Amino acid sequence: MDHDAILARKAAAGDTAAFTILVRGHEGAVRRFLGRLSRQQGSDDLAQETFLRAWRRASDYRGEGTYRGWLMRIAWTVFLDTRRAAGRREEREAAIPAHDVAHDPNQSLDLQRALALLGTRERAAALLCFGEGCSHGEAAEIMGLPLGTLKSILARARAALVERLEN
Amino acid sequence: MTEDEKIAALFADHQRSPDEAFVARIARAVEAERRMAAMRAAAWRRFAVECVASVAVVASFWLVWRLAPASLPTGAIATAPAAAAAVLTLGLWFGVVLRPAATGK
Repeated sequence: MDHDAILARKAAAGDTAAFTILVRGHEGAVRRFLGRLSRQQGSDDLAQETFLRAWRRASDYRGEGTYRGWLMRIAWTVFLDTRRAAGRREEREAAIPAHDVAHDPNQSLDLQRALALLGTRERAAALLCFGEGCSHGEAAEIMGLPLGTLKSILARARAALVERLEN
Repeated sequence: MTEDEKIAALFADHQRSPDEAFVARIARAVEAERRMAAMRAAAWRRFAVECVASVAVVASFWLVWRLAPASLPTGAIATAPAAAAAVLTLGLWFGVVLRPAATGK
C-alpha cells in the first residue's frame, strides 16, 4: 500500500491531519488541471469543492489506481456539475476568440491560446495526457469514457494543437 | 523538435512548492464540515430519542386506557381514548417546548 493510500485510509477514519498532507501533496496538480480547464474562472473554488468532496467520500477510495487519479476524477465531475449548473456558459466560452482569452500569469500565452481552440473534452483529455502525464487508460477512467473514445478525442486535440503550433 | 516534444513543451509547467494559504483554506473548510456533520448527527440522535419518548408516552396512555377499570375517574379516557391520548401528548409537548431549560434555549 503506498503512502497516499495509507493517508487516505486515515482520512477516511476522520484524521484531518492526514487529509491536510494529501491536500498539500496534490493541490498543485488539481488546481493546475482545473485552472487550465476552466480558464481560471473560479478554479480555486472548484478545487476547494473537489477537496471537500474528497473528504466527504474519503472512504470511497479503495486504493485501486492512484490517489491523484481519484482526485482528478472528482475534479472533472465537479467541473462538469458546475458547468451544468451554470447552464449556457459553455456556449459563451465557445464564443470567446482565441486571442481574447484572459491572460493567466501561470500559463504561457501559447498554451492559453492553444487550449482555447479545443472543446471541453478535448481540453480535459489533452491536459490529463500531455499536462499531467496520465496514461490513456487513466485519463479514460478519470473522464468516465471508454478507452477508444478517449483515444479519438485525444487524437483530435493533438491535431488541433499541432496545427496551432505550426501557425 | 518533433511534434510530440513541442506539445510536451507547451504543457510543461515549473514545479512549485505547495500553496500553504490554499492548504489552510481547505483545512478550515474541512474542519467546518466536520463540525457541521457532528452537529447534524447530534440533532438526529436527539430527534430519535424524542421519537422514542413520544412513542413511550402514547404507549403508556394506551396501556392506561386498556387496563383502567371503568369505575375510576379515568373512565373518561375509555370514552374517547384517542382524543384523550392526543390531548395529553399535546400537553406534554407544550410543557417541553415552553420550558426553556429542557430545550437549552
